[in-house]
Amino acid sequence: MKHFAWQWLVISSVLAGSLAAETRPQYGGTLHVATRSALTTLDPADRTQPDSLAGRTVTTLLYDTLVTSDDSGRIKPGLADTWQASNHNQRWQFHLRRGVKFHDGTPLSAEIAANSLHFANPSWSVSAQADVLVVEDSGDPELLAELALPRNAIVKRNAESRNADNKVTGTGPFRVADWQPGKKLTLAANEDAWRGRPFLDAIEIEMGKNAHDQMTALDLGKEELVEVAPGQAHRVSQEHYTLLRSEPIVLLALAFSREAASADAQTRREALSLCVDRASIGSVLLQGAGQPAAGILPTWISGYGFVFPVATDLPKARQLRAQVHSAPAWTLGYDANDSLARLIAERIALNARDVGLTLQPASSAAADLRLVEIPLASSDPWIALLEVIQLAGLPAAKSKSTSVEDLYAAEQAALAGKRLIPLFHLPVSYAASRNLKHLSIRADGSVDLAGSWLEAAKP
Amino acid sequence: MPRAIYNSTIKHSAIKHPAISNLADARAIPRLVNCVLCPASLPFCVRILLLLPAFILLSRNFAPAADWHLPEQQLARKIVAVTGPGAIALTVNNRSSLGQRDAEIIQNGLRGEMEALGLRFARPEQAAATVTISLSENLTSFAWVAEIRQAAGESAVVMVATPRSGGAPAGHDSVPMALHKTSLWAQDDPILDVAVLEENTAPTHIAVLGTEKVSLYRAQAGKWVLDQAFEIAHSRAWPRDLRGRLVLGKDRLFDVYLPGVICQSTAAAPVGLNCRDSDDPWPLGGAGTSLNAFFSPARNFFTGAIAPTLGKFAMVPKFYSAGPVPREKYALWLFAATDGRIHLIDGVSERTSDFGWGSEIAGVKTACGSGWQILATERGDPSQDSIRAYEFPDRDPVAVTAPADLPGTITAVWTETKGDSAIAIVRNSDTGSYEAFRLAVACNQ
Repeated sequence: MKHFAWQWLVISSVLAGSLAAETRPQYGGTLHVATRSALTTLDPADRTQPDSLAGRTVTTLLYDTLVTSDDSGRIKPGLADTWQASNHNQRWQFHLRRGVKFHDGTPLSAEIAANSLHFANPSWSVSAQADVLVVEDSGDPELLAELALPRNAIVKRNAESRNADNKVTGTGPFRVADWQPGKKLTLAANEDAWRGRPFLDAIEIEMGKNAHDQMTALDLGKEELVEVAPGQAHRVSQEHYTLLRSEPIVLLALAFSREAASADAQTRREALSLCVDRASIGSVLLQGAGQPAAGILPTWISGYGFVFPVATDLPKARQLRAQVHSAPAWTLGYDANDSLARLIAERIALNARDVGLTLQPASSAAADLRLVEIPLASSDPWIALLEVIQLAGLPAAKSKSTSVEDLYAAEQAALAGKRLIPLFHLPVSYAASRNLKHLSIRADGSVDLAGSWLEAAKP
Repeated sequence: MPRAIYNSTIKHSAIKHPAISNLADARAIPRLVNCVLCPASLPFCVRILLLLPAFILLSRNFAPAADWHLPEQQLARKIVAVTGPGAIALTVNNRSSLGQRDAEIIQNGLRGEMEALGLRFARPEQAAATVTISLSENLTSFAWVAEIRQAAGESAVVMVATPRSGGAPAGHDSVPMALHKTSLWAQDDPILDVAVLEENTAPTHIAVLGTEKVSLYRAQAGKWVLDQAFEIAHSRAWPRDLRGRLVLGKDRLFDVYLPGVICQSTAAAPVGLNCRDSDDPWPLGGAGTSLNAFFSPARNFFTGAIAPTLGKFAMVPKFYSAGPVPREKYALWLFAATDGRIHLIDGVSERTSDFGWGSEIAGVKTACGSGWQILATERGDPSQDSIRAYEFPDRDPVAVTAPADLPGTITAVWTETKGDSAIAIVRNSDTGSYEAFRLAVACNQ
């Protein structure tokens, strides 16, 4: 396990990095991308749409954030080129980059940026003072990392627009050319992009395609970039395609729909958490693609993930089961469109049966607990943890500090009720045709296509 | 058509630092234009030459030996707060990118701190507690985690975190005619080109062209010190894969060529920089060549229009870089075209070949071999590009040096103004920083 996280980074960068010496980037061409997610809105602040890696990728193509976070978690300038904090981080001033325009030609202003941030975070105190954006009463040590999240992208809202496509406008490297919610998104290069016009002329994103259809489309040359399901990466031909793999950024977990109603229910949940055979699920079903996990945060984010024990403990699980008088059957929900999820759910049901618990896998929406995939929001540990806590309805952290021990305590407290039982941390994999160059995966698992280019066939 | 003219200089002054800020560390750096321009300062420059090897080493961000004392002390205290004084069984695992030597230093340090706080080390069966310390890490910090199991069956986890830091080395190679590389400069922000403004046996003053400014540095007391920085004014956003070139001037310090923009330094001290929108052609090659080419203002390549004409050719294919191979009665020019091929044009005919080169080539005039070599990039290890020198005795290139490995992706190669060497810019694949190297062909090595 030594050096694990950094090996992942190397794999990603080696496979993804462009070889500038081979040839410089070429302008032109349309990139065809397929994704499983079916986005229904392009508004980055719309929380009705579940967070997805595809959504993050699209957001970063259309919009910019005030600051960005690099692969090492360092904060870099974005739409704000300088910033200062004062009064114990209670007051932040962001100086906006000059000359930036939205896709509709409107110049970026502190007022628009303030409105955008306030819309996304109604509890924040955000104001515009001349050319300076001011965030006050924050006291949040992770404010910069928070501002780097796609959901905090700066958008101009067109309240009058009846057309859903035009309700939000961004400053990103691409603009919306055509948008069929849930089906297809066509992006066109923003000629006036402040980071420079992208190399690609356009990107066409087909949505709602399952893993099999995506690979078929890649094989047929209809798509140049597709997602690869966990456990399928080894089947992707290294000769024909570039395989990209991220750090383990997706949490696969069992999530109960409500808190345990009694001490017995709590005990049964503890028994369930101890009986899941993560090792065999990982090696057989996931083909070694995931890291068994009992904590919310992977070690590459927290530094301590390994202290949560992942080993199966059947004797203790049986002992716990024996302590409760009755164990009513639970329904275990999974995504009906995900065949791997069904297999994992069935395997967990078998593990549970071994200790006298009854789980009935079901693809229906209503279930006592669900097998869920949660993309971690950020490589910043506090942001990632608090986001999962909020999503899964776990007990909120009492305090937030820069201390790693406080982080650990918050994670322990969140998991104590066993409403969420972490199973694996999964990397995200993509397969790309060989002529797609300068492709990289960000720390949050999204794909950076802004600098990508398509190599033309040599004459 | 007259173009807008901009003139700007970044002045350095001491400022008060806020609690957190991304503003540059604006240390008050004395302006020293004299050493660049004034011969009177030469003795000082000569003196510091003796220290130049050290300057170059020191300028490359070597990481100092880490001081682990504080986190060792903190973790030891936290462990003792749980176990109390007495006998423990200790195991230390290194799960991080720390090397064995650092891990051993930390382990010894932790043992020393714990002993000082009253702990003794014993076998597990003789210990009141077992302590497993994992030296782990996350993106920003080293995290040292102690899992403590006490005889009573109680367990606890304590931990400390300390920020990470690091550096990166580079490689070397050599054969008969050798390509020597000398590290000139490294920084986190992109470098487009570097020009050596003054040197004796080694550079003493350099100009670094970044995406938004030109910075002048001089060697002083073991490191490079910033003299001045000039902001580059431009009216429209730069294209992606921004390229730019620094050319030393005859009657001024230097010119800067960027897509759609040309800047000229002032002729007299104090140095200033005037930038204007311009589509004037860029000079190709260095001294001894006179071909210029027009660069696309919104792309990363030369449009193919050249001046003066090359024999009957006023247009060549769009290209990324070019280098000359002068013959007795004519000059053969090589263009690394956007179609991925090398176009050889001698003024009368054009031939196209694929030598397996990259898109960066540059010509140098030397005292070796035929007197002219082409430096061409090539793909080596996926994370490490290489460059080597070739001659053209006839129609095809003959390698005259071994490939010189560079520590990452080569993003630019420009012939220096004097024409006898070239500057290669590399994005370090380990650190992500940009490094500038001078490449010079050495004879009979």
